[in-house]
Amino acid sequence: MWPVAAKSLISDELAAFIESGLSINVGTRDSELEPDGVVAWAARVHDDRAQITIYLHNDAADAMLRNLRVHPEIAALFERPTSHRACQAKGSFLSARPAKASERAEVENQIDKFSKDLEAIGIPRAMSSGSQVWPCAAIQMRVSELFEQTPGPGAGKPLQ
Amino acid sequence: MIALESLTSCFQGLIPSWLYTCSRAGVPNAAILSHVDYVDSRHVALSFQFFNKSKRNISENPRAKVRVYDPDSMRAYALRLRFVRTETEGPTFESMRLRIEAIASYTGLKGIFKLLGADIYEVVSVEAIDYEPGMPAPSPALHSRAQAETRLPFTLKALQEISDRIHQAGTLDCLLDAILETLESIFGFRHSMLLLATEQPDRLEMIASRGYPEGGVGSEVRAGEGIIGLVAEARKPIRVAGILRQMLYAAAVGKCAQEQGLKPADRRIPLPGLQNPESQLGVPLIVRDELIGVLCIETDQSYRFHEEDRAYIEVLGGYLAIAIQNALLKERTEEPEEHVSTKPRAAAASVPSSRHPALKVEYYKSDECILVDGEYLVRSLPAKILWKLLHEHQAHQAGGAVEFTNRRLRLDKTLNLPEFKDNLESRLILLRRRLEERCPEIHIAQSGRGRFRLELGSKVELVEQP
Repeated sequence: MWPVAAKSLISDELAAFIESGLSINVGTRDSELEPDGVVAWAARVHDDRAQITIYLHNDAADAMLRNLRVHPEIAALFERPTSHRACQAKGSFLSARPAKASERAEVENQIDKFSKDLEAIGIPRAMSSGSQVWPCAAIQMRVSELFEQTPGPGAGKPLQ
Repeated sequence: MIALESLTSCFQGLIPSWLYTCSRAGVPNAAILSHVDYVDSRHVALSFQFFNKSKRNISENPRAKVRVYDPDSMRAYALRLRFVRTETEGPTFESMRLRIEAIASYTGLKGIFKLLGADIYEVVSVEAIDYEPGMPAPSPALHSRAQAETRLPFTLKALQEISDRIHQAGTLDCLLDAILETLESIFGFRHSMLLLATEQPDRLEMIASRGYPEGGVGSEVRAGEGIIGLVAEARKPIRVAGILRQMLYAAAVGKCAQEQGLKPADRRIPLPGLQNPESQLGVPLIVRDELIGVLCIETDQSYRFHEEDRAYIEVLGGYLAIAIQNALLKERTEEPEEHVSTKPRAAAASVPSSRHPALKVEYYKSDECILVDGEYLVRSLPAKILWKLLHEHQAHQAGGAVEFTNRRLRLDKTLNLPEFKDNLESRLILLRRRLEERCPEIHIAQSGRGRFRLELGSKVELVEQP
């Protein structure tokens, strides 16, 4: 069983990083231990610093939820393309709901920041814009572990 | 299943890929991948650089999924994989190792940013993600435009055309320029350089370049340094795309390594040519197992060097190597036997005059290098040749022009030229071009096949230093 309480809470600095408009990838698995993954748009760290809501397109959420409803283990990788700073949150799926209209502006704000970051490494906005943002699903996860994921010899070490 | 061959654009490393794995205990993991390499119609290779969570998961559970992107259309493809083996040698490993080491040498991370193995995976299925949230819906217009911009330049017809043009070059000097001009006019490569092997086994020197304001003739590259040095060392073509992104990735590794107490090498190798190239291609020029030089092509856009280009690139390298070698042999065998006058003539009007009363030319014996008015000009054999020419010129009265032949230089024991393959012609071309760039008051003018004049636009003061 996965622990209910988080072992490591998310620091303010890390929360700001997670919400700063990053490349977000969410990993799940099925009953055969076959891994799967989808791209997400945005994230919000809850005030308790132990839960994260991840926003992703409905179509992607559908495929992911088929795994999560049976196997709640979830991994979310947050990465900034220009610096490759990255961290991975692991934990368990709590709930899913349609994203509210009031959340759309923040989702689009994070996408815009991410697109600007991509431009800095030569991926033009023409390539990264024009996406269908809405309708979004909001997937809530409880974080039980946090890991450093910046590439290099320290990748995979727990973040305190 | 979608054929892997149709996804070659996805394997250029222009857009990062994503790897999903799962531990035996059922905990998923997501990771960034710098590059997914095509191996054959059923296999891909992932670089193994660190013992990370993905690697541990794969050792417990061979199932993996990788998501790659076509940089032309931004369409995503999900490849379901099964781990087969880790290779630590062989062509796939070597190709990946060289690309990673090229990036490492640019960022001063040799020994830290390195390939431990090429993890070979069988591709079980390929799924096109028709609607990829987070990326735009596939754009046929964008795709066709990108395809048109990045059409394959290496074709038999293009190779035939380059062959025809090169045949028209009468001298080695003309041939070198013809090669680079043709690369631009036929293949569209606006930035290129040719480096030839020198008398020092671990060094190459730039003898011709195109598309760079500073020229750079005479620049040296050591074996193993940067893409050119690695091409020389491995004698294999190396192509690196998405250099900026890969250097950022390497820089992140370097920062992380420093925090772990590992010390990256201090020495950084400056990128040749363009300040921020997006793609580089290095091609070894080999004749009968002998490396005679390296051709380096750069683009400031993300040119896609496709897998099918590889064979053409190797053919092109072989062809250019033979053409250069033949030009060297031809010039040597057609050298004039007759004695030429060393009587000074009036300097050509085109040789500019120095602003100073006399140029101070210093030859440092221990380093075998020449400085003009305190600035480095040239070293090694070209320096010894110039020193000799200037002395002879002075002996036959200062000012004006004195004529020499390659043959006479070749027979001069003080130059210590090897009896076989002395590269004298290429050294003279390098010296002449270097003078044109850095010291136009001293001019070497071709006056016939195998003969040339030294023309001075100024008096020179020769100073020999220990």
